[in-house]
Amino acid sequence: MMKKLLLCIFALLLFGTAHAGDQKTDVPIGDSPSMGPTDAPVTIIEFVDFQ
Amino acid sequence: MAAGPTVKQILQTYPGKIRLVIKNYPYKYRDFARIAAEASLAARDQGKYWEMHDILLTRSPKLDRASLIAYADELGLDLKKFTASIDNGGHANEIDRDVNLAQSMDLYNTPTFYINGRQVIGERPFDSFKKIIDEELHQTGR
Repeated sequence: MMKKLLLCIFALLLFGTAHAGDQKTDVPIGDSPSMGPTDAPVTIIEFVDFQ
Repeated sequence: MAAGPTVKQILQTYPGKIRLVIKNYPYKYRDFARIAAEASLAARDQGKYWEMHDILLTRSPKLDRASLIAYADELGLDLKKFTASIDNGGHANEIDRDVNLAQSMDLYNTPTFYINGRQVIGERPFDSFKKIIDEELHQTGR
């Protein structure tokens, strides 16, 4: 019983840290300038300052 | 600042797999940051966004009004329209929207990238982008 509980806690911790390192932010694209296919597997959103 | 050459290298390395989206985040205490953003969007109105984007990155920090108009001339833009747009803040709303978005995300650095939502702050070597992109491509199975 205790062993199972510990295992559960361990799994939860592991899951939690894996998520923390892989946090994703949903940035709205709107009608901002873009290039490349709209269904591209990778979307890079860049915040720029030209100066 | 923006990461011109590195982004170019990324686009060349992964043809057809990357969508690049630009948000303007002009730092308010730099004299020409805002007008340069205006210039990029004024060029976009005339179908030359990326051409102007490239020029701004390579010629920065020479981004005063006269220089911007000279760049527009190089690109063969309608200078009357272009100049009116940058002088009147023709894209002020779009730029404000981007700035507000950045601030709402607690963002204070440029360039900042979101690669499929994964945040990368500041200029980084190509390989650090490659690592993330490869992971994302692997995950999506493409």
